[in-house]
Amino acid sequence: MTLPQAEVQTESTAAPGAPKKAPKAIAGKSPTRIAFDRLRRDWLAMASLVVVLGFAVIAVFAGQIASLLGVSLETPLASERINLISQLPLEGPPFGGYDPEHPFGVAPRVGTDNLAVWLYGARTSMIIASTAAVLSTVVGVIVGLLAGYLGGVVDRVLMFVTDLFLTIPFLLAALALAPILSDRFGTNPERLGEVQFYSVIAVLVIFGWMTMARLIRGEVLSLREREFIQAARAIGVPTHRILRKEILPNLVAPIVVAFSLALPAYVAAEAGLSYLGIGVTDRPSWGQTVAGAVTWFDVYPQYLWQPVIGIVLLVIALNLLGDAIRDALDPKTRR
Amino acid sequence: MFAFIVKRLLAGLLVLGTLVVSIFVLFWYGPRSPVQGLCEQRTNNRCTSEFRAQLEENFGYNNPMLSELGKYVGGIFTGRDIQLGASTFVECSAPCLGLSYRTFVPAFDELIRRLPATISLAVGAAVIILLVGVTSGVLAARRRGTVADKALVSATLLMSSIPYVLFALLIYLYLNVINEVFPEAGYTPLTENPVAWLSGLLLPWLALGLYNSTQYTRFSRGAMIDALSEDYIRTARAKGLSSRTVTFKHGLRSALVPIVTIFGIDFAFLLAGTIFTEIIFGINGIGRWGLEAIQIEDFPVVQTTVLFGAIVVIVANIVVDILYGVLDPRVRIS
Amino acid sequence: MKRSKSMAAVAGAAALFTLAACGGGGGGGDQPQTGGEFQEGGAAGELKDPDAQGPADPIEGAEEGGTLNVLLPLPDEGPTTLDPTAGWSVTDNSILQNLVFRSLTTFKYDYETDEMVLVPDLATDLGTPNEDFTEWTFTIKDGIRWENGDPVTAEDVAFGMKRSMAESADLQGPGTKYSKTYFEGAEDYAGPYVDGEDFPGITVDGSDITIQMSQPFPEMDYWGSFMAMGPVPSGPEGEAPGYGNAPLATGPYKVAEFRSGEILRLERNDEWDPETDASRHQYPDEYVFEFAQDTTSSDQVMLNNTEQSQTTVLTALQGSSYQQATEALGDRVVPASQACTSFWNPDYEKIPEKEVRQALAFAYPYEDAAAAAGEIPGLTRTFGEPILPPGMAGREDYEAIEGETIETDPERARELLAEAGFEPGEYEIRFSFTNSTPEGRAAKEQIETALEDAGFATQAFGYGGSPYDVWTDPDNNIYKELNVRGVAWCSDWPSASTFIPALFETGQEYNTGNFSEQAVDDRIGEISGLPVEEQPAAWADLDRTIRQDYFPTLTLGYLNNLFAYGERVGNFQNDAAQGFPNWRDMYVVPE
Repeated sequence: MTLPQAEVQTESTAAPGAPKKAPKAIAGKSPTRIAFDRLRRDWLAMASLVVVLGFAVIAVFAGQIASLLGVSLETPLASERINLISQLPLEGPPFGGYDPEHPFGVAPRVGTDNLAVWLYGARTSMIIASTAAVLSTVVGVIVGLLAGYLGGVVDRVLMFVTDLFLTIPFLLAALALAPILSDRFGTNPERLGEVQFYSVIAVLVIFGWMTMARLIRGEVLSLREREFIQAARAIGVPTHRILRKEILPNLVAPIVVAFSLALPAYVAAEAGLSYLGIGVTDRPSWGQTVAGAVTWFDVYPQYLWQPVIGIVLLVIALNLLGDAIRDALDPKTRR
Repeated sequence: MFAFIVKRLLAGLLVLGTLVVSIFVLFWYGPRSPVQGLCEQRTNNRCTSEFRAQLEENFGYNNPMLSELGKYVGGIFTGRDIQLGASTFVECSAPCLGLSYRTFVPAFDELIRRLPATISLAVGAAVIILLVGVTSGVLAARRRGTVADKALVSATLLMSSIPYVLFALLIYLYLNVINEVFPEAGYTPLTENPVAWLSGLLLPWLALGLYNSTQYTRFSRGAMIDALSEDYIRTARAKGLSSRTVTFKHGLRSALVPIVTIFGIDFAFLLAGTIFTEIIFGINGIGRWGLEAIQIEDFPVVQTTVLFGAIVVIVANIVVDILYGVLDPRVRIS
Repeated sequence: MKRSKSMAAVAGAAALFTLAACGGGGGGGDQPQTGGEFQEGGAAGELKDPDAQGPADPIEGAEEGGTLNVLLPLPDEGPTTLDPTAGWSVTDNSILQNLVFRSLTTFKYDYETDEMVLVPDLATDLGTPNEDFTEWTFTIKDGIRWENGDPVTAEDVAFGMKRSMAESADLQGPGTKYSKTYFEGAEDYAGPYVDGEDFPGITVDGSDITIQMSQPFPEMDYWGSFMAMGPVPSGPEGEAPGYGNAPLATGPYKVAEFRSGEILRLERNDEWDPETDASRHQYPDEYVFEFAQDTTSSDQVMLNNTEQSQTTVLTALQGSSYQQATEALGDRVVPASQACTSFWNPDYEKIPEKEVRQALAFAYPYEDAAAAAGEIPGLTRTFGEPILPPGMAGREDYEAIEGETIETDPERARELLAEAGFEPGEYEIRFSFTNSTPEGRAAKEQIETALEDAGFATQAFGYGGSPYDVWTDPDNNIYKELNVRGVAWCSDWPSASTFIPALFETGQEYNTGNFSEQAVDDRIGEISGLPVEEQPAAWADLDRTIRQDYFPTLTLGYLNNLFAYGERVGNFQNDAAQGFPNWRDMYVVPE
């Protein structure tokens, strides 16, 4: 697996701060305005947005939604809900019909409520993906800005580090690093769970910032030579001010695009890591459920498909939305 | 040109050197004893602190870190004998990347042994990626704007949105395990039984190839559309050449340049080991080897697989840059 | 031997169970029901036949030829080395002892009693001890050959036995426990590669090998059945670790291909002479053992009844496939005992109140935790109160708390807690669990729920590595935090001497609850000095005494395997002495 890549790099986004070929008839609209208008007219983007927002609501209000639906994560004794010999639920799927107490059924072997696990799993996926995306964007933007604007030795060193990280096989490194990170905090069980959670995020960030850094560096390299930057420099505006006030605002579009495409990649990456046995263990996560449900795919397919559909739906929606945002911000596309 | 290659090679070596040192240091100072996994492995989880200490002694972890690092790096170039027991040594010839803690076979030998599986997988998948990806991309570009084009583009978008691990897993479970639509996946050496080689790899190739081809469909469609709108294509058309000739002879040739370059990098990543594919379809290649090594803390193997992956990626990057210059006369590399 | 490989994942769950026999399952509605009927696989081999001679009786209907495939699903990664001196796990021993390496003695399946019987192998009989078992003499048979045709001499065997005392990292095996403990002078001898072949404890005279013991060792004949008590060439070819990749076979099969964690392919050894072997056969042309197989796909191979699966044995069917497998394979799904017990040991110092330990026994969710860990109560795990698993010499059932049956009973647990003077929620149980598998985490939640229900507070410590790191290593950070630790133990041979001392003697590594009672230690010493025939009953007695008087442990159940095999696998039997299929007597049914 690789983290978001080619798509972000291959489409170059013209700096929106510069004058643009605005649609002929309409004059005087800001580029952001145009982008929003385009997005609003894109029904697919709007549908994706609705789905994404839906998941966001689930993530934020997982607990409330669960109690509203009358389900909870509470572990019963397995024998209350499970036939210990067949290890399958006493009621509800796969053999029984719809069980109103557990709309998604209960997990084989242990009898935890699937819907509750699914809801909280959505929260875990969303939190991990968005935190990792934000952090890797911040790191990537800082590295890219510094490398691109300062150039020289700084650029060379930073780009060396970037290349170094790009050559490391992501999965192997992640798998090697995650246990090292969480091993440090073995004695306190509450902290261990959290440390695992953060080490997943850390691993995603550590191996996910490079694309953004390269992208931003490229943009800055071209911006640096533009007249308004040259002018600012000539009149002695300090570097940090140029970076913040002049360059950064012109990078909003590529950052937004890259960020929106990084999100789904991180959701997928979390699922992949969980499948390989690295991930959060102190709270439900879709990836964990998938990994555990594989053995049941034949006798109890619903159990496998619930998290799979969750992941696929969220990732597709995020991807479509990301694509749509990119198209909307890119003056070259002709939608 | 020559200076460029030398410069890139030097940069690559620097990356490799940094990797070697950082992995070594990471294991050396990691939270667990570097021989903990080995100790458990050798004793069926009866690892005692005395035995662990003995292993640490045998494997040189009681010596200064720098001198051991020196030995390790020296071994890569000159080979060395590695002490295992009280009086047993194993010869590890250059390039010596250490002995696998699990098998006590030089990690490099094992790498060579596993390479054919990974190469088979990567090459087969690459063929599918290029065939399916480029063909469908070109066809879509020719029929640009039609329903077929739109359907194809949305289909690829949808498919590439599914996380690969789930894609491969579902394909495996439903096409191989429940319904034996495809012959059982697995790797048999080509030299041993070509039919078994082909049938065992068919499904993994398709999974890996089809999934990754989606990106190429979109990319080659885009490149083709750009190429077809160039002036010389218009000239060719005006000359009265058939649409087919124009598309394939003139358009495709220029569209292929960027495709080749991204393909080079992707192929390198395939070669470096496709962990999910190898795990899910049970192929004993480099990726699975690396994963297992991490699980049992087999440090020399982890080091070897990571280095191998890095070398492949670095070489591919250099080759691609050179190729780019050769294929596209407008680019001059410096 | 400790149940290691395949248990690591499950035992780590915090280990499981006691009582409450077959959990028939309160199945409801219209889903299919399967009774969990457990077939006893025969006793674990307390019988002996010193006169057994080769060749072994032919198996009725057996034919030569064919390839027998064996799938060993994760977490069983098979042997890391084939070195006979190092072999000390169920999988390694069962495969190599049965098929590749011969040793002084071995086991044979007796078709009249369906039990495993100890018989002579390389030796002409089961050895001749002196009166107090401090000297044993074995006479090596003539006509035994290495796979290269050279004769196996008594010197070769003696060399192998000396090798079992080696201290080098690559030769760590059961010899570290038995040869080192019992052979005279072994503690000062670091093996033939370091201290030379001069070891006064083992002398060779013609074909006689005489071993001097440092203390009475009546079970030398059983120890003789280990591969470590067999021949190893003394030259450089026998040096570890190289020998572990290419050992010389003496049994009916030799190694054709071996890659640790992947595959072991055995082919016929034509130098093996059936006339000299009372226990082994040589029916299939090849045995192919594939290790570390994906659990889902190996189950499906068996369920789909493909051509390949017809000649395949699966060594661990998953609980999730059990229902389907019984429908598809019928009798060819075989639950089989393996002489192992799983324990939960309250720390004897940290939980000094006997009532609390007993309360814990009533609080523990035996069935639920087992199910959550992926086992099938009553089938892959059966329950009982004694420390010794079924099949062990002398084992007797008893009530660990007189007049009561221990089963999950939160009410009773609360009563006992109250008697000990603790309010509900006051007493905290601190245990560890394997957090890297869904099974481990699920079992932990079951245990938490049940313990809290019974009035305990809980604190669970997740750990990703081998559970024995946190159960046996006092320097481990988590170890110090725990007040309950687990252990799962299998017998090396069907004598309690390989079981009780290792688990309940003061200071033993696998005495994970740090149980320490002078009376018990003394009694363990006394029993080894008793006449051999009185020992089984004495051990059984001690078993009861430990549980009734001190209650230092919860027996979470006896572990059983769940095998499955294909249509064309002939004469599938469980080898109860090894706890694995009896590879010696199998054959491939011709098409």
